[in-house]
Amino acid sequence: MSVVRLRSRGSLAVSVLAPLVLIALTVAVGASGTLSLRGTVTTILCEMIVVLGLQVFIGNSGVYSFGQLGFASAGAYGAALLTLPAAFVALQTPGLPSVVADAQLGAVGSTAVAAVACGVLAAIVGLPLMRTSTLAIPISTFAFLVVSYNVISNWDRVTGGSGGLVSIPRTTGLVSAGLWAAAATAVALAYKWSTGGYRLQATREDEVAARSLGIGVTGERLVAFALSGMLCGVGGALAAHQSGVLAPSTFYFTASVTILTMMVAGGARSVFGAVLGTIAVAAVNELLRGVEGGGEILGGVSVGNTPGLAAIGVGLILLATMIALPNGLTGGREAGELPWIRRLLGRRRAADRAAGPVTAPIGSAKHGAAIAAPARRDGALRAHGIVVAFGGLRVLRGVDLALRPGEALGLIGPNGAGKTTLVNVLSGFLRPDAGTVELDGVDVSGRSPSRLARAGLTRTFQGALPFPQLSCLESVAVGAMGVGDRRGRAVARAADILDRLGLSARATRPAASLPPAEQRLLGVARALATRPRYLLLDEPAAGLNEAEGEELVAILRGVLEGFGCGILLIEHEMSVVMSLCPRVQVLDDGVTLRIGTPDEIQADPSVIEAYLGHSYLEPANA
Amino acid sequence: MTELAQNLIDALALGSLYALIALGVTLVYSVMDMMNFAHGEFIMLSAYALYALAGAPFGIALGGALVTGVLIAIVAERVAFRPVRRADMSAQLVTSLAVATILQNMVMAAVDARPKSVATPSLVSETTQLGSLSVSNIEFLTLGLTALVLAGLGWLLYRTRAGLAMRAAAENFDMARLLGVRADRVIALSFAISGALAAVVGVLLVMQTGQVSPTMGLTPVLVGFVAVTIGGFGRMLGAVIGGLFLGAASSLLGAYLPTGLLPFRDAIVFSLPVAILIFKPQGLLGAATGVARV
Repeated sequence: MSVVRLRSRGSLAVSVLAPLVLIALTVAVGASGTLSLRGTVTTILCEMIVVLGLQVFIGNSGVYSFGQLGFASAGAYGAALLTLPAAFVALQTPGLPSVVADAQLGAVGSTAVAAVACGVLAAIVGLPLMRTSTLAIPISTFAFLVVSYNVISNWDRVTGGSGGLVSIPRTTGLVSAGLWAAAATAVALAYKWSTGGYRLQATREDEVAARSLGIGVTGERLVAFALSGMLCGVGGALAAHQSGVLAPSTFYFTASVTILTMMVAGGARSVFGAVLGTIAVAAVNELLRGVEGGGEILGGVSVGNTPGLAAIGVGLILLATMIALPNGLTGGREAGELPWIRRLLGRRRAADRAAGPVTAPIGSAKHGAAIAAPARRDGALRAHGIVVAFGGLRVLRGVDLALRPGEALGLIGPNGAGKTTLVNVLSGFLRPDAGTVELDGVDVSGRSPSRLARAGLTRTFQGALPFPQLSCLESVAVGAMGVGDRRGRAVARAADILDRLGLSARATRPAASLPPAEQRLLGVARALATRPRYLLLDEPAAGLNEAEGEELVAILRGVLEGFGCGILLIEHEMSVVMSLCPRVQVLDDGVTLRIGTPDEIQADPSVIEAYLGHSYLEPANA
Repeated sequence: MTELAQNLIDALALGSLYALIALGVTLVYSVMDMMNFAHGEFIMLSAYALYALAGAPFGIALGGALVTGVLIAIVAERVAFRPVRRADMSAQLVTSLAVATILQNMVMAAVDARPKSVATPSLVSETTQLGSLSVSNIEFLTLGLTALVLAGLGWLLYRTRAGLAMRAAAENFDMARLLGVRADRVIALSFAISGALAAVVGVLLVMQTGQVSPTMGLTPVLVGFVAVTIGGFGRMLGAVIGGLFLGAASSLLGAYLPTGLLPFRDAIVFSLPVAILIFKPQGLLGAATGVARV
């Protein structure tokens, strides 16, 4: 069986090489110019590392942080203090602990120490902050920026206070900055394409769906936040050794906006965008900064002494990007994913597809083992006396349920009976007011959806909740990564599942481009990738036509027979329920009305009444 | 005892000021789910209106500040925020950051990067003796204005048709639109009120410090953001509580912190909320807009 790839070799090569070539060109431009241009370009390369750090967190998580420059300044001050000559230490920072003061590290050593220290600092800061919401994180990181500024500008005996530091050894050269930037690019790309990176991107695309696949949002964000802090620390350390002087305001509000603009203008989701955006915005910034003291723009318009001109320009770029080009210059794509590059690589892509996975019939032992975990035949998913009330409305009033591995249980009932609420309770998205949920004999009440998914209980949703920017193959692979699979294994399993579900031809297309019925099927594929022992399907056939519905039944039958996975099926389409489920539970108004075979259920007057109303049974008395 | 009472009055006054800032931020948030970074610049520009109208009678200068706050808020909404109304919360937040940067640096370019002093009527800088307590008139003014603003907002939101429309939009924007609430008008109105609140804060800040500077909006907007975060997003009462908490914490730390730590007061004040968020990640009152998709 050939190896399936998330991206073709050509696309991969272009994605990696394009930003590196841009960096090399930037270094070349700097090397060919005056000493002052050299310095400017070196500074821009240091900024680029910070922007890459920003991209690692913001680009992959979709959550903004305004505090990353706090880590850059920590890195800058840390590295500066580690390398400051002893005479200047006594003069500027008498309160410095002797461990730091006596350390005489070189350029690389001090940068490495600063990087590690900033990573640890970011992990500590992120620990409480990442638990809060998508909107509270930008605000609390902004608060962190102000806190770090306040500390640095007032801790006179250690940081030199508002006066800052001078006489820092200027060890960052143009080439070394370029090499560090290239390394940072490699780190950012490696993280983005790692299992952790994919898990985090899934939370960016749809937090709820990601949690249902076993992904812990807080933990994934924390990892990226720490890595981001590390890269920012490197950028800061190098910048300090470039300029030779530091002031508290070097890494404050204006710089934060500039760095953010660079990332957004390039396209936040793209590492290539971070590199491109840094260069583009820096060019405009330098041009405007040149005329701030009075001068002419492009030989035409003359400008008087206007401080703030460059910052206005940066603000306008940011505003224009947000309004007109929210995905940035790259559209959020890596270089190898750009449409015109894809066309260039088109011939090779066709070859890749031809070498797709070999398929075996669904349920064959070989592939069954590849998809599902071995089921424990003695276990079961059980719910006892589940009660849920929204305000005064009691939606579930003491419901029991039992689902064994290898069994399909239909859950039906009229609208508002409480079916979805029950699935929300079973899957951990909703805490019941009373009652317990047991998974293979263990009480799992109150466990998070991601923990339950890792324990073998996965659900799908009434809405498809796709990961719009991820390809179909990536979307499904993320399901396997969510429960801890390595990348290669996850991708192989994803390819296998897509193949069985007839979605192979869509593998490289973004999930958002699929028609609704296929998006639903993709949701089932994603859930299957987590190797569930219990699979809760919330109306998977809604919106499918008859033929597609039959296909779905065949697929689910394969899952049942091949993997011994228990399926709870909520469905309004009776033909699907009746053909798949030997046992059906009927909910009405928050209680179980009847459990029985499809035939028994269909013949039960109370069920018919619940669905169709009293008058249907006894028209004479109506 | 007297000292404690004195400190508590100071704490209440600063807390009221902070509550006014947080109310301005949360008003816009509850209607259009946008945390507005530029609120600090609305405050700053209102203060600069006082500076620009320094020669005019004080009443006219006050009116000018109010008009400036309202106008700049309405214009910013129309030009910058309306095009991104349908974008997600993070994108709106970043857009407002861009607006804040532009406004701040435009003032820097047009006036000066350095602070400018503004003369205020001597009456506001005097203090009144209440027994052994001395309360400055600016504190009276802050407390009085806060009470007035709270009463006015309460009346507007709960006793007028416009207020009903705003509350409906805050509850469920799309449904409110379907029921005939005019989105553009409601959003413009909430920005106008938010701008007016910013103007009140700007004027009070000038009276307190006697000066204006292009970056004077930065700390207030952070105060507003953090207050709203710890109070719970979209909660008017939460904003007031959050503002009072931050103001009181800042004021009391200023009174009781050992001299060596005094410079780090802001760092401590803005670290405190983290402690709250550890135990209450959604804020004290919980966020008003929960995830209700599953």
